[in-house]
Amino acid sequence: MQAALAEVVDFPDAAAREALDDARAAEAAARGDRRAFERLYRRHAGRVHALCLRLCGQRETAEDCTQEAFISAWRALPAFESRSRFSTWLHRIAVNAVLARHRGLAARLETTTDEDPATLDRRTTVDTPPLDLEAAIAALPDGARHVLVLVGLYGFSHEEAASELGIAVGTSKAQLFRARQLLTARLGLGTEVT
Amino acid sequence: MNDETPLESTALDARLAALPRELPPARDLWPAIDSAIRPAAPARHRWPLALAAGFALAALGAVVGARLAAPPATVAAGPATGYVIARRETRGDAELVATRAALEQTYRERLALLSPVTRAEIEHDLHLIQSAQEDIRRALGRDPNSRVLLELLGSTTEQEFALYSTVARTTEPFATRTRT
Repeated sequence: MQAALAEVVDFPDAAAREALDDARAAEAAARGDRRAFERLYRRHAGRVHALCLRLCGQRETAEDCTQEAFISAWRALPAFESRSRFSTWLHRIAVNAVLARHRGLAARLETTTDEDPATLDRRTTVDTPPLDLEAAIAALPDGARHVLVLVGLYGFSHEEAASELGIAVGTSKAQLFRARQLLTARLGLGTEVT
Repeated sequence: MNDETPLESTALDARLAALPRELPPARDLWPAIDSAIRPAAPARHRWPLALAAGFALAALGAVVGARLAAPPATVAAGPATGYVIARRETRGDAELVATRAALEQTYRERLALLSPVTRAEIEHDLHLIQSAQEDIRRALGRDPNSRVLLELLGSTTEQEFALYSTVARTTEPFATRTRT
C-alpha cells in the first residue's frame, strides 16, 4: 500500500524516502535480485563499516565483519519485515558479526579482553598527550567501547545495546559512564580521573 | 553517577557528535560479497529440487495431455499419445489452442515469482522445446503424414504443457500470498 502511495505522493522527508527505497530493494533482493542488494550495499556499506571499525578497533577485521554482515543479511532477507527499517536491521546483523568474531577470538586466545580499569586509570594523567578521538575509542576496553559505539554514536538505547551485547541494562549504563570517563581523561578534556 | 563536569560533558559530546557516521572500507567489498551470495553455476537443465521433481512427475501435464489425446466428444480408451495430440494441433483444434493460451498466460504471470537463476533455466528449457517444435513442424511441412514426426510433435507439446503446469503448481503458494 505504502509503495503504491509513494508513486503519486512526493515524500518530502529524505529519510522516509530512503527507507521506502530500502524496503523495495530488500523485497527485490529477497527474491534473488543481486543488483538490488548491491544498491543496498552501496548505500549502507560506509555506515556498517564505521560501526564495525569502531566496535572492533581494527581496520582489517572491520572489513571482514562488514563483508560477513552483508552476506548474513542476504541469507536472512526472507525473514526481514519491511515494517522495520532496513538500516536498523542491518546494523544489528553487523553488531552480531563483530561480537561473534570477538567471542571466537577470545575463546582461541583464552585471555581476557577487558583490561583492569584501575590500571588504565592510573596510567591516564593530565601529562598524557591528548589522543585522536578515534584512537581513544579504539583503545577503550571492549565492554566500554561496545556500549559507547552503540549508545553514544549509533543511537541504540541501553535496552537495545544490552540485548545485543548480552548484558544487563545497568551494566550498559555503567559501561557508558566508564567509557566517557576514560575518553574525557585521555583526550585531556578533564583534569583528573577519579 | 556522572562525575563529568558540564563543560567536560559538553566538550566530549561535541567531539563525539562530530565523528563521521560513515567510513567507507578501503576497498570495494562488493565483488567478494557477490561471489559469496551468487548461486553455484547450475548444471545444464538442473532446476531446484522442487521444480525438478514436479517436472519429472508432470502430473498435471499428463492429465492435460490425456484429455487432449482423446478425440473430441469421446472418452479416451487408452493412454495419451503424441500422435493424437499432434493431429489436433495441426488441425488447429480450438480446445488445444485455448488450453495452450491459458497455460501460457499463467506461466508468464508466475515466472516473475521465481528467482532470476531459476527463471533463466526454465526459459532456456522452454526455448529448447519450442525450437524442437519448430524443427518438427518444418519437417512435417515436407512430410505431413509422418507418424514419427507427429509423435515427436505431440511429445514436445506434452513437455511444453507440463513445464507450464509445473511452474503454475509450484508457485501457487507464492501467488496466493501476493494476492492477499
